[in-house]
Amino acid sequence: MKTGIVFDIKEFAVFDGPGIRTTVFMKGCPLRCTWCHNPEGLSPEPQLMVSTAACTHCGACRAVCPSPDRCTACGKCIPACRGGFRKISGQRFTSEELAKRLIKDRDVYEMSGGGVTFSGGEPLMQWEFVSEVFARLGGVHKAIETSGFSADGVFSSAMRETDLIMLDWKVSDPALHKKYTGASQEPIRRHAEMLALGSTPFILRLPIIPEVNDKRAHFEAAAELVAHAKALVRVEILPYQPAAGAKYAMVGREYRPGFDEKKPLKYFTEVFDERNIPYRIFK
Amino acid sequence: MTERIRLLKAFQWERKHHAYRHPVPEGIEDGYRKAEYTDVMRSALRLKAALDSETPVLLDGEMIAFTRTLKNLPAIFTDAEWEKIKSEHYIHELGNVSNLSPDYGRIIKSGLLPLLERLNDSEEHRAMRIGINSVLGLAERYAQEARRRGLTELAETLKRVPAYGARTFREALQSLRILHYAMWCEGDYHNTLGRFDQYMMPYLESDLAQGRETPESAFELLEAFFLSCNRDSDLYPGMQQGDNGQSIVLGGMTPEGGDGFNLLSEMCLKACGELKLIDPKINLRVNKDTPLRVFELGTQLTKLGLGFPQYENDDTAIPALERLGYAREDARNYAMAACWEFIIPGRGMEIPNIGALPFANTVDAVIREKLTSCADIEELKAAAEKEIYRRVREAVQACSNLYVIPSPYLSLFFDGCVENSKDISLGCTYNNWGLHGTGLAPAADMLAAVEQTVFTGSVKAEELLSAMKANFEGYDELRDLLKNRCPKMGNDDDAADKYACWLLEVFSKAVEGLKNERGGIVRAGTGSAMYYIFHANELGATADGRVQGVPLPANYAPSLNIKLNGPVSLIKSFTKPDLTRTINGGPLTIEFSESVFTQSDSITKVAQLVQLFVKRGGHQLQLNTVNRERLLDAQQHPENYRNLIVRVWGWSGYFVELDKCYQDHIIRRAELLI
Repeated sequence: MKTGIVFDIKEFAVFDGPGIRTTVFMKGCPLRCTWCHNPEGLSPEPQLMVSTAACTHCGACRAVCPSPDRCTACGKCIPACRGGFRKISGQRFTSEELAKRLIKDRDVYEMSGGGVTFSGGEPLMQWEFVSEVFARLGGVHKAIETSGFSADGVFSSAMRETDLIMLDWKVSDPALHKKYTGASQEPIRRHAEMLALGSTPFILRLPIIPEVNDKRAHFEAAAELVAHAKALVRVEILPYQPAAGAKYAMVGREYRPGFDEKKPLKYFTEVFDERNIPYRIFK
Repeated sequence: MTERIRLLKAFQWERKHHAYRHPVPEGIEDGYRKAEYTDVMRSALRLKAALDSETPVLLDGEMIAFTRTLKNLPAIFTDAEWEKIKSEHYIHELGNVSNLSPDYGRIIKSGLLPLLERLNDSEEHRAMRIGINSVLGLAERYAQEARRRGLTELAETLKRVPAYGARTFREALQSLRILHYAMWCEGDYHNTLGRFDQYMMPYLESDLAQGRETPESAFELLEAFFLSCNRDSDLYPGMQQGDNGQSIVLGGMTPEGGDGFNLLSEMCLKACGELKLIDPKINLRVNKDTPLRVFELGTQLTKLGLGFPQYENDDTAIPALERLGYAREDARNYAMAACWEFIIPGRGMEIPNIGALPFANTVDAVIREKLTSCADIEELKAAAEKEIYRRVREAVQACSNLYVIPSPYLSLFFDGCVENSKDISLGCTYNNWGLHGTGLAPAADMLAAVEQTVFTGSVKAEELLSAMKANFEGYDELRDLLKNRCPKMGNDDDAADKYACWLLEVFSKAVEGLKNERGGIVRAGTGSAMYYIFHANELGATADGRVQGVPLPANYAPSLNIKLNGPVSLIKSFTKPDLTRTINGGPLTIEFSESVFTQSDSITKVAQLVQLFVKRGGHQLQLNTVNRERLLDAQQHPENYRNLIVRVWGWSGYFVELDKCYQDHIIRRAELLI
């Protein structure tokens, strides 16, 4: 049986697909988008998170730390913190354990037209595990939120085994894609085209980042990708909001997005109107 | 909202009508505080003195009249008299008739005048007559003032009601306004407006059918009435501003067994959404067959952060009330007391909040005293059961020789008071008492923690008790085990939930067969009112890993300061107990961030959650949308808000885990949303 590392399970995740859903956040991501708001989802390994804002600097954690120079995520400091401000992000589940946790609310998914969503990090990085969980979920509606960065075989299996795919389309220009996400756009474009030709219902999600991709050319490229896609549900536009860096301090990092966060965003939604492509802007 | 309503609301919001207020005339109490007067007569004479001292005030654009000008109400007893009464009797709260649902509908229909014919010369009847005449006298002065101001329609309405039965929606609303207004002037409080949509609908229906009102004009009248409910509420007694019991009940089964949700129910929901005021607070009665659309209408109000509607589930409440001995048509006709206790309009002189069983304190005391001598969890449970029985009896006995200040005017609205020449303060058809049950979830968590540690042999009883005594100082590992790795009620985990089911069952059995001194029964409930504050102050560190000083949850809710899975598990946990056995009242409360509602389909999703609660046999549910004040408090006391979820961007996070600058950001956003 496969095991996977999960950094959060969220019930009633209202932004992750239709109906009442539970979203599982898988740990580990091959991309390094400079605007990423889930820094604890990047590393595939369990790691310590500290609510630095609430910390009173009482020193109790330091007193019990066996490895003050390099955190090994041993977790010894967690009970020592009276406020409960420390935790290990990343818990290992077997596919059976996770499926059991999810399927208990099958009645709720069914009455609401909801289901289960796998997000991350990048859920396709642990696809064999996710696939095994899916197999144990029977008829429950299954969705994934993915960057699309995976091997082709993985993506085709995901298309076969998933009821709804939410694919991020981050940057249309290949060179800028590499610059802002640290990864090649090539497999992502290929997978977007597979979705456009296929029959798996999908949503194309556009995170709109000031200066990076709030450009007409980007909107147009996105629209062209899905203009003739039969299984497209809609395009979703996710405007950047200047709280994306909130969790960086908690994993001991500094947030350096590399663009002007405060710059007003520009939208070119008319490119969707012109092509009769349904879209929605998230606030 | 019409321009007229907008202006009236603005006038009231700016408190301009406060300029008309004056203190009671000096020496007013000398008129009724005479040694030779009975308490019933004093109460009637005080009402007369208060109403006679009122000056008619008609605001510009007034549609539904009556504005209180008297700032205060002197007591009917001297301090010395009251001290003596208190030394001889049990006094509930302030001593007045409170928390009832008067049958306003009956008097709106008949008018006050026909009642006069049924009164004789008994002391009680003479007092009732004084009350009626005083109310009619004030109405007459208002009618004159309306005439003088050229407000012909208002003058005509006041000439008709409340003396005679109302014929139109306008007359019915005006009648209700003065009838309810006079209740406050008698010194009674927390008495509710009851099943407003049921007793008002016939007037609206006939007006619409005969073309006297259009849907729009009727809606304007309704909003004018709702506005009037907010006009004087700062003068009424309550624990906090807004705690005044001016609630209405919408929908639900009729006494005949039909579905009561009607056009007026819907108009009320819409009017509250438009006015965005605290009164009237809405209780929405629903059942498993209520259409999703009705839940969505309710959720629209939740989204506004009003803190209502509160939902009551007929499928649970009605059979539960019947089981307690309420007649079927009365059970079907239930309304809500000021907060959330189930009461019967016009037939109950019940005290549903007379005392409380502190679950957490009881279980904690038993653990401290008996843990070392118990061989297994069953022995501990047996000891807890015995202690619950003892405390329940003690709570009821503590309330002997009850005295309630007479309310001859309010008596008119209750069955049998006129017929039997009896004041409502002495009782009615139903005279039951209710006990709250506070700290249920922490108590269940304590038992679950003890079972998983002490009774599996992994922790010694003595070690646990020493750790509790030390407030877990020096016992970090143990505290972490108890708090973070033992089952908690609210996570859909039977290992903890089974104890909540068991505790409620024991509570319901413990009150079974008990009689109060008025011949009524004792009802068990899941509410807390303000008792949870008192009970938390009496607690040290507890076996669930809670350190001293952490508050107990209010009402029917999970422990604070624990990690919860989310609202689905929460609802599943809290619908496991057989809630038909604990129907005194006390809702599960769930809090949402305003950000949940930024997507249009969230209304449906939240409505479906409410439906889930109802379909699973929940009794009462309240949803809150988190507001700025709460966020600010969460900044100061993050330990109490661990589960406060906020939407930050394309993701949700725990508010207290965010850096301060981001917290501030969200607070600022909350300011914009309000």
